[in-house]
Amino acid sequence: MTKERRHVSCQLAVVGTGLAGFAAAVFAGNRALDTALTGNTGALAYTTGYLDLLGAMDGGGPPLDDPWQALQTLQATQPEHPLCRLSPASIHAAFTEFTSFLGSAGLNYSPPGRRNETVLTPVGTLKKTLCVPSTMAPGTTALTDKKPCLVVDFHGLKGFSARQVVANLGGSWPVLSAARLVFPGMEHGEIYPEVMARSLETAATRAHLAELLREVAGDVTTVGLPAILGIHRPDRVRAELEKLSGLRIFEIPTMPPAVPGIRLRELLEQVLPQRGTTLIPQQKIKTLSFEKDAVRLDLADNYGPIVIEAQAVILATGRFLSGGLAADPNGIREPLLDLPVSQPGSRADWFREGYTDRRGHPINRAGLSVDDSCRPLTAEGRPFDRRLFCAGIILANQDWIRSRCGAGVAIASAYRSVEQVRQLLGD
Amino acid sequence: MAAETPTPIPIINFKQQALQLLPDGASFDACLTCGLCSSGCPAAGIENMDPRKFIRMAMLGMNETLSTTPWIWCCTMCRRCQHVCPMSIDISQLVLLARSNWPNDRKPAGIVRSCTLIRSTDSTSAMGLPPEDFVFVVNDVLDEVRATQPAFAHLQAPIDKQGAHFFVNQNSREPMSEPDEMVPLWKILDLVGADWTYSSKGWAAENFCMFAGDEAAWYDVTRKRIEAVDDLGCSVWLNTECGHSYYALWNGINRFDLDVGFRLESLITYYARWIREGKLPVNSDWNRRAIKFTVQDPCMIVRKAYGESIAEDMRFVVRSLVGADNFIDMQPNRSANYCCGGGGGFLQAGMNEQRRSYGKRKFDQIQATGAAYVLTPCHNCHSQMEDLADAWHGDYHVVHFWTLICLSLGILGENERTYLGPDLLALLD
Repeated sequence: MTKERRHVSCQLAVVGTGLAGFAAAVFAGNRALDTALTGNTGALAYTTGYLDLLGAMDGGGPPLDDPWQALQTLQATQPEHPLCRLSPASIHAAFTEFTSFLGSAGLNYSPPGRRNETVLTPVGTLKKTLCVPSTMAPGTTALTDKKPCLVVDFHGLKGFSARQVVANLGGSWPVLSAARLVFPGMEHGEIYPEVMARSLETAATRAHLAELLREVAGDVTTVGLPAILGIHRPDRVRAELEKLSGLRIFEIPTMPPAVPGIRLRELLEQVLPQRGTTLIPQQKIKTLSFEKDAVRLDLADNYGPIVIEAQAVILATGRFLSGGLAADPNGIREPLLDLPVSQPGSRADWFREGYTDRRGHPINRAGLSVDDSCRPLTAEGRPFDRRLFCAGIILANQDWIRSRCGAGVAIASAYRSVEQVRQLLGD
Repeated sequence: MAAETPTPIPIINFKQQALQLLPDGASFDACLTCGLCSSGCPAAGIENMDPRKFIRMAMLGMNETLSTTPWIWCCTMCRRCQHVCPMSIDISQLVLLARSNWPNDRKPAGIVRSCTLIRSTDSTSAMGLPPEDFVFVVNDVLDEVRATQPAFAHLQAPIDKQGAHFFVNQNSREPMSEPDEMVPLWKILDLVGADWTYSSKGWAAENFCMFAGDEAAWYDVTRKRIEAVDDLGCSVWLNTECGHSYYALWNGINRFDLDVGFRLESLITYYARWIREGKLPVNSDWNRRAIKFTVQDPCMIVRKAYGESIAEDMRFVVRSLVGADNFIDMQPNRSANYCCGGGGGFLQAGMNEQRRSYGKRKFDQIQATGAAYVLTPCHNCHSQMEDLADAWHGDYHVVHFWTLICLSLGILGENERTYLGPDLLALLD
């Protein structure tokens, strides 16, 4: 059977559907760039939902209260860091634009503030972040005010323990207690946050859970739940549950597979096409070639081959997990274009002796080196192609996990890249 | 008489087989055990199994348990696990492998019987309806419509018309049990001036041989249907409102590396095209009570085949029919949608408790929309969602697209209203 090859022609092709790729598509859409977006599931599903800008400096030190001040330090100490490719004012604008977009699509976030927020992790430790989903924000307030609070978990739910949260937080949050409930309709076996969240989108489950929460809360008026308050329109689920129970309710992130990432993915996959983006979901591109008149991307979905022709490309393919980088005994490669990868001199230098070495491991700073326009560089230090830009954690010279800057790098470099694409296409 | 001993199920080396099944660049070793597959799988937990467990057990060499677990008949092979997997691991391939490994006398009898019936006549009908009976029923219903509906006194339902553009297939359920349900589609084809035909051979739109894991039978049915289209020299095989019949032929052609001289298309694509071209002048003026509708994306034509384009066409058709404000999408939807639990032969497998447990997630999705009606272009989805409404006490109805198209056009005959609820029936009075 002859398979028809489908063609997509666009101004900008974004490769990668993690936070950076999605953010790039959002920024491009807001600037009326005709955009195609494609990528595999990637690591977005593993997020807590918090959008970190910069929570710690590489090499240790205390958690950062003022990320904007820290950006200036970073400019002085690590000018190669991707967050130093644009001004703090532009980074602020990028966060504002991205969170406003999410809010307008039904997923509300706190806007970027002047200081980091202190938020709860799935195990009840604390971390710093810039923007907080509104379903989680009341937790930060309750923590600050040290309000009496009950943390609830559920039989059969792995990856979230109310007792663990209480044990870790008890010292700094005196009137904190834990309780375990049977989730309505899920009496047996292992249950997943995603399934609970879907169920809470029905009125019947909300009413049932509200009743259980009211009973177990006693005199306490604030309740922390694992992040299960619906996938779609979670703010409404939370509001209705609060109304039904008379309690103040907030979410705490859970271990993957977790709801906040699924929320982001499903929301963006629905809203972007409605706003004009051509989305080809769950697919990796096979080849990327720079021809005279266009950049050509070849891929295939279940139905057959697809060709995208674009005037510019943003590569947001992530690091090892998503396949943006690949490691073998000879070193680290960028598999799509074989772009030079900034990396330790030899495999022996990838890791330090101690797993918990405070300086981190050199391999975690590997990635693509770019110019100020976020264009990847050749070995000679020239842009690989004036139409190729790069965003997200594939960028070198940052250790996003240790410095809590994953969303910061993704959103800032996506913003920078899209600005540069606009300039290129406007020329 | 001595009791018959069931044939033992051979033990498969899953890890070894898995490695051979993998596409380029994929790896089961790449599984991070993150659990997104199980979290997003309505079959997770049934028979104490889930996709993550399945893949881990395969990697650990627990071949006996995997070879014999009845869970493989509860997994509908909808491929949602692969869709959400960051490593794109396709567990449904292993499930199909396990199904094919079960001796016939151990497989769910309903699926095996359906496959046997498909092969029992030239119709390829899973209900065993022979060609001559199909021809009789079609002509009988056609005569009645011509006699009782003056606007359609000249309605056509051609059979074995050489050189027709469209070869239209037909789910057996209609000619067998509700023949009047064939009429709305005939009217639509008449209205748009389609050059179409049924075939007395290979007309049926079911293929449970694929679900039975009977590769040879699947191949036979595929061949027979291709021959039927080729014999009539049709350009387009137009698949009716059915998910798996499309997938079984389309995927069969690819899987068995067959050459065909016609295109495979879905009725949904054409509904959308005919509406856009003005040939089907539907509108939503009739929906003056703002009755709400949602739509079910069949896995077999959306996630597993066409992807987003057909999902978009489906939404265009629904919005045109009921009004944009009266359409509420299920969450999740399109390629991320959940299987209803009627696919993969589950409806035929006789495992009702497990099937309804699986379907609870679909039921919740529908309930969350608050819609009074679910539209779906798939007979298995249709039957399953109706059954779920009964089992879980829902108050929604499930309708075919053809019913609503004819309703919108004011040409839905009295005998063609089986699936309408009282609110829609009231509008027609």
